[in-house]
Amino acid sequence: MDDFLNILGSVFSAGTFNEMLRRATPVALAAIGGSLTEHAGIMNIGMDGMILMGAFFGVLGSALMSSAWGGIGMVLVLGVLVGLFFALFVVKFRSDEFIIGCALNTFALGLTTYLSRAIFGTSGAKGYPSLPTVDIPFLDSIPFLGEVLNHHSLFVYLTWLLVFVLWVFIYKTPYGFWLRASGEKPDTLRTAGIDPDKMKWIASVLCGILCGLAGAHLSLGYLNGTFAENMSNSRGYIAFACVIFGAANPSKAYLAALMFGFFDAIGLRLQDYVSSDLTGIIPYAITIIMMVYVVIRGQQKKKHAAKRLPDPAGKT
Amino acid sequence: MKNNPLLKKLNLRYLVSLLISIVLAFIIGAGILALSGFSPLKAYGAMLSGAFDSARHVGDFLEYAMVLCICGLACVLGARVGIFNVGGEGQLLLGAIFACQVGIWLDGFSPWIVIPAAALAAMIVGGFYAFIPGVLKVKVKVNEVITTIMLNTIAAYLCQYLAKGPWKNANKNMVAATEQLNAQYWFGNVIPRSSLSTAIFAAAIIAFIVWYVMQKTSRGFEMRLTGQNPRFARFSGIRTDRLVILCMVISGAMCGLVGMFRVYGAEHLYRDSVSRDYYFEALMVAMIAQYKPVTVIFLSLFFAVLKIGAQGMELIGVPSQIYLIIQTVIIFFMAAESGISASLQASAQKRKAKLAAKARQKGDVQHG
Amino acid sequence: MQELAVQFKHISMEFPGVLANDDVSLDIRRGEVFALVGENGAGKTTLMNILYGINEPTDGEVYIGGKKVEHFSPKNAISLGVGMVHQHFMLVPSFTVAQNIVMSKEPRKLGFLFDNKAAEQKTRELVDNYGLVVDSSAVVQEISVGLQQRVEILKTLYRGADILILDEPTAVLTPQETDELFAVIRRVVKEHGMTVIIITHKLYEVMAISDRVGVMRKGRLIGVADTCDMDEKKLASMMVGRPVLYDRLEKTGVPGEERIKVEDLHVLDNRGLPAVDGLSLSVRAGEVLGIAAIEGNGQSELLEAITGMRPIENGEISICGQSIRGKDPGEIRQLGLAHIPEDRLATGVSRDASVTDNLIVGRHREKAFNRFGFHQRTSTIERYAQQVYDNFDIRGAGLEVNVGSMSGGNMQKVVVAREFSFDTPVLIIAQPTRGVDVGAIEFIHSRIIEKRNAGCAILLCSADLDEVFRLSDRIITMYEGHITGHFKASEISKEEIGYYMTGDRSGEEAVYEK
Repeated sequence: MDDFLNILGSVFSAGTFNEMLRRATPVALAAIGGSLTEHAGIMNIGMDGMILMGAFFGVLGSALMSSAWGGIGMVLVLGVLVGLFFALFVVKFRSDEFIIGCALNTFALGLTTYLSRAIFGTSGAKGYPSLPTVDIPFLDSIPFLGEVLNHHSLFVYLTWLLVFVLWVFIYKTPYGFWLRASGEKPDTLRTAGIDPDKMKWIASVLCGILCGLAGAHLSLGYLNGTFAENMSNSRGYIAFACVIFGAANPSKAYLAALMFGFFDAIGLRLQDYVSSDLTGIIPYAITIIMMVYVVIRGQQKKKHAAKRLPDPAGKT
Repeated sequence: MKNNPLLKKLNLRYLVSLLISIVLAFIIGAGILALSGFSPLKAYGAMLSGAFDSARHVGDFLEYAMVLCICGLACVLGARVGIFNVGGEGQLLLGAIFACQVGIWLDGFSPWIVIPAAALAAMIVGGFYAFIPGVLKVKVKVNEVITTIMLNTIAAYLCQYLAKGPWKNANKNMVAATEQLNAQYWFGNVIPRSSLSTAIFAAAIIAFIVWYVMQKTSRGFEMRLTGQNPRFARFSGIRTDRLVILCMVISGAMCGLVGMFRVYGAEHLYRDSVSRDYYFEALMVAMIAQYKPVTVIFLSLFFAVLKIGAQGMELIGVPSQIYLIIQTVIIFFMAAESGISASLQASAQKRKAKLAAKARQKGDVQHG
Repeated sequence: MQELAVQFKHISMEFPGVLANDDVSLDIRRGEVFALVGENGAGKTTLMNILYGINEPTDGEVYIGGKKVEHFSPKNAISLGVGMVHQHFMLVPSFTVAQNIVMSKEPRKLGFLFDNKAAEQKTRELVDNYGLVVDSSAVVQEISVGLQQRVEILKTLYRGADILILDEPTAVLTPQETDELFAVIRRVVKEHGMTVIIITHKLYEVMAISDRVGVMRKGRLIGVADTCDMDEKKLASMMVGRPVLYDRLEKTGVPGEERIKVEDLHVLDNRGLPAVDGLSLSVRAGEVLGIAAIEGNGQSELLEAITGMRPIENGEISICGQSIRGKDPGEIRQLGLAHIPEDRLATGVSRDASVTDNLIVGRHREKAFNRFGFHQRTSTIERYAQQVYDNFDIRGAGLEVNVGSMSGGNMQKVVVAREFSFDTPVLIIAQPTRGVDVGAIEFIHSRIIEKRNAGCAILLCSADLDEVFRLSDRIITMYEGHITGHFKASEISKEEIGYYMTGDRSGEEAVYEK
């Protein structure tokens, strides 16, 4: 019994929630980027590769310019390029999104591993300048919350801002309306004199940037200026699941990412009691359960909505 | 069904674009090599000799071609009916570890019992692991790409756990590996010191059967129709749901069997070198082959040469991952092939139309 | 002479392999209602798409309000005052009415925020101005098709259109909605001085609404006339190029035993709403029962339920005396049913498969076509396919080509050929000649009657009333999932059928049944 209480205590400690925020952030950044492409009607499973490249080029930039900000700058440039590259195939050449996404992931794995070994040698990149943590002085005085919310890398806070900004962008600005129309019914835009492909390009580029930042958070804000091979570790796919789970709404996708972070953090806490290989399974299993739940809920919602509709043939 | 099967199969347009893609990919690869300070010529030379300099390396790339080919065909089998089995990696790993453990549990029995039992275990485990996403896709309509990828990671963790925990090798120096199989169960070596084992003959038979069923039988015909237009297939009386799940299960069983081949043929115990994302490379091969079985077989050989050759490049200090880059660049070109030629055609047509209009305008002016 | 709104000068439009418009010159006067008529594929929509800037003509010039069009783009067309209501509405289903209307010219707050209040305000102003009543905050996917069309018209008005193109606006409307639409057209022309171009192939509508009419055939403009100088017969013969004289179809034999039986059937549509609501019918051997209904009144769902493509909520269906409960489409076919589906591209063929493959499906498991029960006998299959191909006069580039590359008519013949070759006692036929040229229509019709005379029980559903009349022995009318009338084809007129198709005439039902 005591053991059980101990476990419970360590699972629901402030440390867990602190860890949750930290671990949710890269997934969340990618997921809000994925929300944009999802709204533009692109099935983006290439996010994992985008994250991985962001992680590597973040460290590379940091190493080259001896500053984490240099790394961020490099990641921004890279994000734009990757987004353009992705859109070139998916939007311009109308290639299969699934093939391009898969190939992009493998390409990123090959490229980053190759460059990492060619530039940093087989031991990898370690200990380059990383992002400082943000310390908010008055927060520490609040007992639980302070511990949870304070002393994170800038990205954790930046993500909150971005979730809000993108939510406004998607649902409250004309451009957001165009973006959603470009995915839902592109011909409406075309006949209104707006090129729907343009919105898809923009969405891809923004997604590239956000995924790049997600990667940068992994390598610069999360581990200290370190790049490990294949360090994205399927986070891009989890982000994709979050997008579906949140119906491409950035705030809901963020909540889904938090959920992922929570289970990830719990796994870490339980390591003392259960093998870390088993706890590592949790977030991935949760993702599958999430996907099934989303689909079933969606079907029920549809049925529900149909019952609310006044009259089928619609004479009004 | 064709008048001239050879001509039809040798899709000229496909071959030409494949060739161009490969050449371009190697040029881009050369660029990357040069930028990172290696001589492309030397590197590619090392690649070539890395694959062909010894019988051992030839054996290695044949073995890897076998892995690519069976996994690639497993992917094709799913794609044929419109379901993408991205989870072959997990199915392979689970098949490998269970097949291995069966061999350890049954230690002492005749190989005639152990090997079929291990193969069966690998196929059941792999098949079941593919059955889950298959049913979720057909009955609940959950995207199989995400579920299979998640299942891959889960399988990797699970195997790691088993190899480190309950099924761990007694030897303290082996961190994550199972016990070694008794040598009497090992597949015979075809080329000494290479990983090529007699499994390649079994693989050849499997490849033939898969090709035969897909191309020559009424079942294969039903699979093709289901992939092309599932609604039409169902309308025509084909039980598409059942067929999709069946193909997925067989696909998983094949991947599981590859895992068994790896253990009984090359590794002789389970550890993570049984597969290092081999299935993903097979997936790439299947994509480049546009899910055509015969093309998969040939491209498997080609990419196996690249892969084993790339390991030869390590000798002169070039990271072997350049191989992944070249492979994916080929995919990018192949996937964009129709898009690129369409946009080229469109712009050519526009130019032509404009010229024609101008010519006509001139004609009008002269008339007037 | 009146001021010209639009001038087309020698317009030609070439798509790969098709000359959609061939040297068309046409003037549209300001303030008139101009009707453009022609068969499917005559090039009407292409011409209007050029005016709206979607297509750039391969040759020729367009003048709008006397100004030559330099750049063909919807944006430019909109700025020149052209608005178009497409046949398939260009509305975002999840947006509200107001959000759809203001798209591309959104009212803003702070320069970058969408001002929803202002959008709804502007919508209401438009509604008041033009008398097109619609709720500005309703979500588009939840309103009726008739209302969606109003939203489309309001959208063009919001963008400042004074030339309004309507592409087949009445195809999905009930007669009442059509009347309302025509009232709107008259009003905007009279009170707001707009010019309206209406594309249609319903001739009585031309007579009812237009001032002038242009007839197109095979990409060419055949003639333009004042509507008052024309009548439907003249227009019809201009449209098809010759007086339409179908041969009488010889119907022989007497109906035999009951083959299709539907009792108190309830079926839901894709949205989960009742589509077929307690319907019963029966078809006997050697007769054709025709269903006359406006699209979306449950006839599609009825046929899908009978063929097993849609689950049955309640009720009973039997084919040749055997219930279809719990059976999948393949098992239902085993009971003796073949089916020509309404949407051949989605359901009737596999576009990426060869003609041979498309002809053999359904028989591919038969012993004759398989060695040892699994190995396909390619030469036998080919011989069979060739025989069917010739038998049904399919014209294409042979058996090897993909069906997707064939013309609509020949594709339909592939479907008909396959399904008829099963020699089943029951046929379910939906839209047998949609998008098919006149010659092929004749051919398909005679094949259907041949089947009937040979003792097939046929359930026919078609949007083309003439077709229903020509082929059926008995006709039922459907409205909102119910049967509203039940008639002998020889004892009722098209006008009367129209009355029963368009509303619940309960109490009056069975008046004509003898």
